[in-house]
Amino acid sequence: MNDVIGGTVGGRVLREDAWGKVLGQAAFPADVRREGQIYAVAVRSPHAHARIRGLRLDEARKAEGVVAVLTSADVPHNGHGVLYRDQPVLVADHVRMAGDPVVLVGAETPAQARAAAGRVEVDYEVLPGLFDPEEAMKEEAPALHPEIHGGSNIVYHLPVYKGDTAKGWAEAEVTVERDYQTQMLDHAFLQPEAVLAYVDERGHLVVEVATQYAHYDRGEIAHALGLKFNQVRVRTRSVGGAFGGREDISLQIMAALMAWHTQRPVKMENTREESFYSHSKRHPMRMHYKTGATRAGKLTVMEARIVGDAGAYASWSPNILRKAAIHATGPYEIPHVRVDAYAVLTNNPYTGAMRGFGAAQPVLAYESQMDLLARELGLSPWEVRLRNIYRAGSETATGQVLSGSVGMEECLKAVKSYLGEVSGR
Amino acid sequence: MKIELKVNGVDRRLEVEPEERLLDILRERLHLTGTKEGCGEGECGACTVIMDGKTVNSCMVLAGQADGHAVTTIEGLGKRGSLHPVQKAFLEEGAVQCGFCTPGMVLSAKALLDRNPHPGKEEIAVAMSGNLCRCTGYDRILKAVERAAGEVEQ
Amino acid sequence: MYYIRPQTLAKALEAGEEPGMLYLAGGTDLILKLRRREVQARGLVDLQAVAELRQIRAGGDWLEIGAMVSFADLLNNDTAAQEARALWLACSSMGAPQIRNQATLGGNLANCSPAADSLPALLVLQAQVRLLSRSGEVLLPLAEVLGRTPLWQPGTLLAGFRLPLRAGVSGFAKLGRRQALAIARLSAAVALREENGRACGVRVAFGAAGKRAFLSLDLAEELNGLVLDRGFTELACRQAKKVISRALGERASAPYKKEAVAGVVREALRTMEFVTSGEHADVDRKGGRGNED
Repeated sequence: MNDVIGGTVGGRVLREDAWGKVLGQAAFPADVRREGQIYAVAVRSPHAHARIRGLRLDEARKAEGVVAVLTSADVPHNGHGVLYRDQPVLVADHVRMAGDPVVLVGAETPAQARAAAGRVEVDYEVLPGLFDPEEAMKEEAPALHPEIHGGSNIVYHLPVYKGDTAKGWAEAEVTVERDYQTQMLDHAFLQPEAVLAYVDERGHLVVEVATQYAHYDRGEIAHALGLKFNQVRVRTRSVGGAFGGREDISLQIMAALMAWHTQRPVKMENTREESFYSHSKRHPMRMHYKTGATRAGKLTVMEARIVGDAGAYASWSPNILRKAAIHATGPYEIPHVRVDAYAVLTNNPYTGAMRGFGAAQPVLAYESQMDLLARELGLSPWEVRLRNIYRAGSETATGQVLSGSVGMEECLKAVKSYLGEVSGR
Repeated sequence: MKIELKVNGVDRRLEVEPEERLLDILRERLHLTGTKEGCGEGECGACTVIMDGKTVNSCMVLAGQADGHAVTTIEGLGKRGSLHPVQKAFLEEGAVQCGFCTPGMVLSAKALLDRNPHPGKEEIAVAMSGNLCRCTGYDRILKAVERAAGEVEQ
Repeated sequence: MYYIRPQTLAKALEAGEEPGMLYLAGGTDLILKLRRREVQARGLVDLQAVAELRQIRAGGDWLEIGAMVSFADLLNNDTAAQEARALWLACSSMGAPQIRNQATLGGNLANCSPAADSLPALLVLQAQVRLLSRSGEVLLPLAEVLGRTPLWQPGTLLAGFRLPLRAGVSGFAKLGRRQALAIARLSAAVALREENGRACGVRVAFGAAGKRAFLSLDLAEELNGLVLDRGFTELACRQAKKVISRALGERASAPYKKEAVAGVVREALRTMEFVTSGEHADVDRKGGRGNED
């Protein structure tokens, strides 16, 4: 290469971690091992909503190579979560989503652990599931977390109101009203979750993991196991992609629990299928939008109702629906706004952080609204945006006055030549 | 069962279970953990190794199938100070992000350049098409392979 | 489970006769099925060392393709590229380089997935299937084998395929969710001979439209003898919709595939150089989106 690597500002930099990665030496958690390690496997619920009537563990305990079979009874404080500790380490009685871990089996080899896990019998009473957030948010819907989230499945509601929408509608000469829906997504980071947990020579619990959030992991592990923070050390290994999907606890506490219980190093490695079961997803959102504008193409008013499916556990849902609400207008100045954003618990896989963190989904709605308005007004989609974008001095729906560094106009003008002949159709 | 295979130029005699995959043998028995398991079903290419000059997904090769063959893993390429041109190009082009796909990518590129030192863009794209990068750094990766082809040429 | 690797056909046949033994070709399907416990085996008879099964030979009126020929082997064979264009195209679209290096044509038939890429192509190329067993060798038309369940009796060894040479031109196209590593959502293969500007001996086959790949005799009959012009393509696309609609009945994918098939057939015809493809793709796209707004 011609340009020099190194230097200061403007120089090219080699990623320090790239060396180990191109040589195959970078250690992801599945790549590390300790003498005498055993292997743990979680038995997960195939049902999205169920009561556990009983467990039969004798066959698993007798299986070849088994070291320990653990249940919720072995977890001192059975809950974790980034905002609310509403997610059990091992389910005691109430299964809220398919993939909830119920029993943890530890054995000398991975094959023995999987074989023994196959011999665990869980007696489920399958319950009707709440899969539609609109249904789940109704008052008469059964509450999924009465102890932690109370009698409603709505874990979060953020109203963002500005101005006077009645006035906005009076001024509007054109109205567009539509429903939008986005789908659930998985991050599908390439490296399935893996953990190595062990008790070190000082008697401290060490958990080696690929995580986005080591200090939080340490707190949750310590809390669940009834240990002090200084008894737990979380060591972040190479992280094989995350995209938000490694912000919550996946295998960390289970591996730590097994290591603490057996006092042996414990390895857990998800298969790809288990990985899909054991981390959060992107929130599907249903968005009802109604937008009004003058004939001159100036936005006067917008009302939106955004319902995010939180799935079985809260995770980051409040923060994500907050972000959705705050970004609901897009980069457009609208004098009168009424946005209501909700996060609703259901029996779907739990949803949490993923690239954009709630700001990504409303794009579909607000930009589609702009295109539809352009069509109604006979303007180009570019023009209708130019007439409404944030500029220095604009006030957002939350009342923030943008004092500087607002690049929208420059950006729109810069892309115009690439858009070709775009018309309002 | 007993198998014999050459791994990175070294003859290995191993006692293995017939259910074991080449991937398991490399990782668990030989501790060559540069070969990664991403999906276990031939979708992602993270476990790519070169067997007798051809890339295969080591998660879909049984121990017995590998018996008698020569396998190259990422550990069999360069070292610090003597990087393989593909490794050097990945490093310099910034074609590495989380790194989990990198060993497989590097081996797919090496197999291509061994077969054809002057591939065109289309041929590079096809050769790399069995390796997924979820960080979506494909552009840099393809550029790195082009750069490596230039180096091989010199 | 145990593993053996016989060196000769005779030894392979003998080993395969033992109860609970399965033949192992490339293994890209079988290994996953074994790991998921969808298939049980007492032992595996790996055919990789049986040299006869790895050959591609053109002799007399026939192209012989051994069951252990990999997709990559076939792609590297010039005779196959010329004489079995549809098969060559099918092989190039299957999986990814790693899979094409390992997966075999014999394995593709033995596994017999509804979406098996090679089967529609082999069908239109009039492939015969060479089956060996203790009682000797039989050659059966692939279409006949695909009508049986199981495809063959235990103890039978699939030795390969025999395709007539100089049988005309052929093409193949596939609809997948992405370019590489895509399982076919729908595939179509076409073969025919041109005589005085007209289509003769037309054969059309579909994959991923039902349990197994199949030849559509009705469609072939409708197209036989027609002038090879744009109208030919349009008629083929239109009639293919009816075939797929019948084949899929009430399946959830039917509304999508019965429209999509027109594009797939058009693409398959386009891969056969001399057939006028008709650039009216927009007509179909509009047709498919009629009630969108």
